[in-house]
Amino acid sequence: MKYRSQAVARPYFIAAIGLFLAQIVFGVILGIQYVVGDFLFPEIPFNVARMVHTNTLIVWILMGFMGAAYYLIPEETERELYSPLLAHVMFWVFLAAAALTVAGYLIVPYARLAELTGNDILPTMGREFLEQPTITKVGIVIVALAFLFNIGMTVLKGRKTAVSLVMLIGLLGLALLFLFSFYNPTNLVLDKYYWWWVVHLWVEGVWELILGSMLAFVLIKTTGVDREVVEKWLYVIIAMALITGLVGTGHHYFWIGAPEYWQWWGSIFSALEPLPFFMMTVFAFNMVNQRRRNHPNRAAVLWALGTSVLAFIGAGVWGFLHTLAPVNFYTHGSQITAAHGHMAFFGAYVLINITMISYAMPLLNGREANSMRSQVLEMWSFWLMSVSMVFITLFLTGAGILQVFLQRFTDTPLPFMVVQEKIALFYWLRLISGLVFLGGLVVYITSFFVAARDARQGIAPVAKDAELAPVNP
Amino acid sequence: MSSSNPSRSFVIRPCTQVYLALMGLTATTYLIGTAAAPEQGPGLGLSLLVLGFALLKSHLIGDYFMGLRGLHGPWRWVILLWLLIPGGLILTAFVLSA
Amino acid sequence: MTATIATHQDRYPPGDLAIWIFILAELAVFAIFFAAYAFARMGDVALFDHYQATLDKDAALLNSLALITGSYCVVRALAAMREDHRAASVRWLIAALGMGTLFLVVKSLEYAHHLAAGVRLSTNTFYMFYLSLTFFHFMHVIMGMVILAAVAWKAHRGGYSAREHTGMETGGVYWHMVDLVWLILFPLVYVMR
Repeated sequence: MKYRSQAVARPYFIAAIGLFLAQIVFGVILGIQYVVGDFLFPEIPFNVARMVHTNTLIVWILMGFMGAAYYLIPEETERELYSPLLAHVMFWVFLAAAALTVAGYLIVPYARLAELTGNDILPTMGREFLEQPTITKVGIVIVALAFLFNIGMTVLKGRKTAVSLVMLIGLLGLALLFLFSFYNPTNLVLDKYYWWWVVHLWVEGVWELILGSMLAFVLIKTTGVDREVVEKWLYVIIAMALITGLVGTGHHYFWIGAPEYWQWWGSIFSALEPLPFFMMTVFAFNMVNQRRRNHPNRAAVLWALGTSVLAFIGAGVWGFLHTLAPVNFYTHGSQITAAHGHMAFFGAYVLINITMISYAMPLLNGREANSMRSQVLEMWSFWLMSVSMVFITLFLTGAGILQVFLQRFTDTPLPFMVVQEKIALFYWLRLISGLVFLGGLVVYITSFFVAARDARQGIAPVAKDAELAPVNP
Repeated sequence: MSSSNPSRSFVIRPCTQVYLALMGLTATTYLIGTAAAPEQGPGLGLSLLVLGFALLKSHLIGDYFMGLRGLHGPWRWVILLWLLIPGGLILTAFVLSA
Repeated sequence: MTATIATHQDRYPPGDLAIWIFILAELAVFAIFFAAYAFARMGDVALFDHYQATLDKDAALLNSLALITGSYCVVRALAAMREDHRAASVRWLIAALGMGTLFLVVKSLEYAHHLAAGVRLSTNTFYMFYLSLTFFHFMHVIMGMVILAAVAWKAHRGGYSAREHTGMETGGVYWHMVDLVWLILFPLVYVMR
C-alpha cells in the first residue's frame, strides 16, 4: 500500500466477501428448492430466495468495484484519495441500505415492502434484478454520486492513466445507466427497453470497462510489463467490448415487440461479443508470459488468468451459444440462460473482484503477499469454485437442452412442470456442485485467517530464491 | 508500399500501377452491373467474376497499400485468409440460390 | 509489442500492432454481415433482385472511385513522409480527407433519396441489409476521417519524420480497411444477382 487512503478499500472488500457468502448460501437454498419444492416454505419462498441471490450478487460486485476503485485510483493518480472520510461514510450507508433491503425481502411479503417503502409515489419495483425498493435505489444513487465525486476529484487532480480513465468512464456509465431504473413505463415493450438499458448495458457494456481496467491494473503490478503495452491492449479490448456490447443489446429485442431488424442486428453484433473476451484471455496470458518479475503473490496471478479464461467461456462462448435469433427462438428463458448467467457472472465479475481482493488485501494488511500456506488455500479455493462452476454450467446446459427439446422443439411438446420433473436429475447434480462451490468459498475465507496467523508468526510468503527472479530479461 | 527510390518522372510507381488497376477493375464491375437489363442482372457467372474482382482488389489493397507484401510469417497472409471467409460464404450462397 | 515491431520489421505489418488486432475484429463483423446478406438473399432471391434494381449504381461507382483514390492519397502521403516531404505529405492527407467527404456527401444524397421514397429498416429484408451494411460502413468512413484528420494535424505540426511515422501508418491502415470493406460491399449489394 503506497497511499494511506487506499485503506478505505478494506471494509468494502470484507463486506463484498461477506455478501458473496450470503449469495452462495441462498444459491444453495435455491438449488434445494429446485428439487424439493417446499424446502423452507413458507419462511423463504423461491421467489424471495432468488431475489436475495441475485441482489446480493449485484451489491457485492458493486462493493468490490468500489473497493477496487478506492484501492486503484490513488495508486494510478499518485495521490491520496480526495476524501477518505466520505468513502468511509458511504461504505456504511451502502452496507446499511443493502442489509435493510435484504432484511425487508426476508421479513415482509414483497407487496407489503412496496407499500411500506412508498413505491406508490414513484413505482420502480417488481422488475427482475431491479426489485429494490425505490428508497434503496435513491440510496444507491446517492452513494454512487458521492463515490464518483470522490474518485473523479482524485483523478482530476492527479496523474491521468489509461487504467484510471477507463475505470472512471466505466463507473460513470454504471451510475448514469442506473438512472433508467427509475423510469417504469406502463407500456411493457417500452419498459423492457429501459430495463435492458440498465441490465444489459451494465454487464455487457460499462462493467466490461471496469473489468478491463482492474485486470490491466493487477497485470501491470504483478508482471512488471510496460504500462504502455498493457494500455494498448486495454484500449483495443474496451473498444471492441463497446462496439459489440452496445449494438449487441439487440439480442434482447428479439421477442419483446421491437422491430424485426433487431434479430439481424442483435445476432450479428452479439455474435462478436466473445471477441473482446477472447482478446482478454490472449492479453492476460501474454502479459504473464512476458513478465519481468515473479510477483510473490502467485494466487493473484492465478485468479487473474482464471478471470480471463472463464469470462471468455462463460460470457463469450456460452453467450454465443444462444445469442443467434433462430437459436434463441427456442432457448429463450430456459436453463441455457441460467447456465450462461452463472458462468458469465462468475467468470467475469466474481473472479475479477477476487483477483483484485487477492492482490490488494495482503498489501492493505502491510505485506506484499500472504504466506505460501495461505496462497495454497486460495489456489485450492480457485480450483474448487471454478471446477464446480464449470459443472454447474454443464449440468444446467444439459438440463436446458433437454428442456428446450421436450418443451419447445419436439412435435409433441410437454407442459413446463412435466419437463421440470424429467430434468430433475440435472438439478440434483447441480446442487451437489453448488455445495462444492460453497466449500470452495469457505476455503477462500479460511485463507485470510491462515494468512493473518502466519503473518503474526512471521512466515515469509515465498522462498527467497524465487523472489523477483528476472524472467525472459 | 511505394517504391522508396526517388522516382523519375516517366516511371510509374508500383502503388500508382495498383491504383490504376483498382480503378479499372471497379469500372469494369460497374459496366458489368449496368450492361444487363435491370430486371435480369448480370447472371451468376458474371456475378461471380465480379466477386473475384472484389477479392482480388481487396488482396491488392492488403498487399500494396496496407504493406503486407514482403512480410515473412503469418501476418503476410492475414488479409488474404480473411478474404476467403466472406468470399467463400458469398460464393456458396450465390451458387446455392442460382 | 512495440519493442518486437522495431526489431522484426519484416515480420510485423506497418503501424501499431494494436490497430491490426482491431482491424481483424472489425473485419470479422463485416465478414459476418456479408455472409448474413448472402444467406438471407437465398431465402428470397426475387425480393432482393427486385429492390437491388432500385439502388443507384452511378453513385456507388463514384463512391468506390472516391475511396480507392482516398486510399491512394494516403499511400502517397506516407511515401512523401518517408522522403521527408512533410508539406506534400499533409497535402496528400488533405486530399484523402476530401475523398472521404465526397463519399459522405454522395452516400448522404443516396440515403436522402431512399428515405424520401419511404424506405426504412423495417420496409423489407433487402433494405434492412442495404441500410444497415452501408450505414455501418458509413460510420467507419467517419471514424477513418477523424483518425486521418488527427494524423494530418500531427503531420502539419511536424510530429512525424522519415524515421518515425508509425502513427501515420497506423491511421493509414485503418483507412485502407474502410476502403477494402467497401470494395466487397459495392459488388455484393449493388451488382451481384
